[in-house]
Amino acid sequence: MATQHSKAAARLMIAPAVIVLLLWMIVPLVLTLYFSTLRYNLLMPGGTPFVGMENYQYFFTDPAFTTALVNTLLLVGGVLLITIIGGTLLALLLDQPMFGQGIVRLLVIAPFFVMPTVSALVWKNMFMNPVNGLFAHLARLIGIQPFDFLAVAPLASIILIVAWQWLPFATLILLTAMQSLDSEQIEAAEMDGAGALSRFFYIVVPHLSRAATVVILIQTIFLLSIFAEILVTTAGGPGVASTNLTYLVYIQSLLQFDVGLGSAGGVVAIILANIVAIFLMRMIGKNLDA
Amino acid sequence: MGRITLENVQKSFGDVEVIPPLDLTIEDGEFVVFVGPSGCGKSTLLRLIAGLEDVSGGEIRIDGKPATDLPPAKRGLAMVFQSYALYPHMSVRKNIAFPMKMAKVPEDEQKRRIESAAHALNLTDYLDRRPGQLSGGQRQRVAIGRAIVREPAAFLFDEPLSNLDAALRVGMRLEISELHTRLATTMVYVTHDQVEAMTMADKIVVLRAGHIEQVGSPLELYRSPRNLFVAGFIGSPKMNLIDGPEAARRGAHTIGIRPEHIDVSTEEGVWHGTIGVAEHLGSDTFFHVHETGLAETVTIRADGEIGLHHGDRVYLTPHPDKIHRFDEGGLLIA
Ligand SMILES: Nc1ncnc2c1ncn2[C@@H]1O[C@H](COP(=O)(O)OP(=O)(O)O)[C@@H](O)[C@H]1O
Ligand SMILES: [Mg+2]
Repeated sequence: MATQHSKAAARLMIAPAVIVLLLWMIVPLVLTLYFSTLRYNLLMPGGTPFVGMENYQYFFTDPAFTTALVNTLLLVGGVLLITIIGGTLLALLLDQPMFGQGIVRLLVIAPFFVMPTVSALVWKNMFMNPVNGLFAHLARLIGIQPFDFLAVAPLASIILIVAWQWLPFATLILLTAMQSLDSEQIEAAEMDGAGALSRFFYIVVPHLSRAATVVILIQTIFLLSIFAEILVTTAGGPGVASTNLTYLVYIQSLLQFDVGLGSAGGVVAIILANIVAIFLMRMIGKNLDA
Repeated sequence: MGRITLENVQKSFGDVEVIPPLDLTIEDGEFVVFVGPSGCGKSTLLRLIAGLEDVSGGEIRIDGKPATDLPPAKRGLAMVFQSYALYPHMSVRKNIAFPMKMAKVPEDEQKRRIESAAHALNLTDYLDRRPGQLSGGQRQRVAIGRAIVREPAAFLFDEPLSNLDAALRVGMRLEISELHTRLATTMVYVTHDQVEAMTMADKIVVLRAGHIEQVGSPLELYRSPRNLFVAGFIGSPKMNLIDGPEAARRGAHTIGIRPEHIDVSTEEGVWHGTIGVAEHLGSDTFFHVHETGLAETVTIRADGEIGLHHGDRVYLTPHPDKIHRFDEGGLLIA
């Protein structure tokens, strides 16, 4: 691949794929940018006049905006925290030789195959329902007042549901990373006098850092746009207590039929995602080098 | 102090007995080499001593104190692994400091020991690099440095040189030997390479399928191998083993004669044959002689500048007092 000739050939070969991908990305992006500068409401037929930054102004001054922004970050941060820590512990557990290892591993992966809407519905109706839910039954069994998860702590409940969905992914990646750890390194640490905890923190955790970085980056991409779980469980409420940016865009563009405002929200979401990405790469991107 | 005694030590993995019960004493300050073909249980034996494997039976004592049930860290032994097992995310300095950090050695003492180890091992310029940025030989030295700073009762090496190229291996062999002279600490060294064993050991333990075939100094093993296995294993090139009428004539089932104990001549001798391959090393020449009627090939060592070549007809004369005689069971006939 080193000669001039082969480089040129390589560029030519990958050109079709790159062009298709570029179109796939550029066209919707440009259209969204374009719509966000129009007064374009489906309830007001007629013209779609150019209004410049007016939509952005409305979006930023919307009282729900700050809440949605904070909720988005809390949702991402909370789920990452639970899945990384929980995933590491689960991986540690699954890495131990035990009876029925194959079955247990399969079961752990299962939540990942459940569709978000379905799992959110199951959680909402079978577990968290204050009257019929499993948790309510358990609470009554030990004689305490059932807790109405989705009404009292809507965002925390959604974080819990989403974390449950993503835990298998984190566990799986961290487990493979853990299995790739050279056993001689652990033995060397053992000879060097490191106890189980020291071995975990000095040898295992640094070894997992690269895999954890991958988990964080991939999950962040998906978690920034959590939608189905919110729609199915709380519909963003009570009030806007569990509304994130994606859901706010949905409220404005689809529930209020305001394409212009919705597009502006979409652009803001893109910018936020990029800011988060830059911070992430700054903080942990160096783990991916070499 | 580092006197290690194994009494009836035995190890099985499931139903497979890898080490049948064996006794062995490693004296304080000795350089002991376990040598044997791949898969004979050398690493397993070393790991039993280190405490990385539990014995299936028997007792291990270190300096007279029972160590059989002690965890590895409590045995006061340091190990250098074949893969070096350096911690890839730590700098060389941190790697070397790790065992001291675990033992809560005071900072300035740590610093002093790192400096002196780095100086002794020529690592001073590399202390702030990661293991990934070092050559094989340097990694090897870091692994040794990490072992030295613990000031262990004994060092355990598991084929430490097998990942190095030939030239480096010779150099590191010397360095480890010098280290042993300087520290006078017990060293237990595992290798499948009999040259390493011969050049480094005070005492060689030859293993086959978990059995100790013979224990002795390099020259003892060279001069009087107790059986055919040791005879064939120790010495390079290998001892010539001849059976049939020639052996029977000397009252043995098999006789062995080392290549360096056969004289070659173009005029007269006890045996004769035709030179097949001639390996000219400069200092010596090794001839593989065919059609002797004794064995497929007889290897002989001759002077480096001897003027003999492929296809030449030669006469061979063994030194009579250097002929080893073995019975049907492969044991030396005294
Ligand atoms: N953990 C283990 N489980 C089962 N068998 C093992 C294990 N470790 C080593 N063995 C077996 O024990 C024998 C000796 O292995 P080893 O001590 O590594 O040999 P060497 O170091 O002399 O090459 C081999 O036959 C190997 O397959
Ligand atoms: Mg081995």
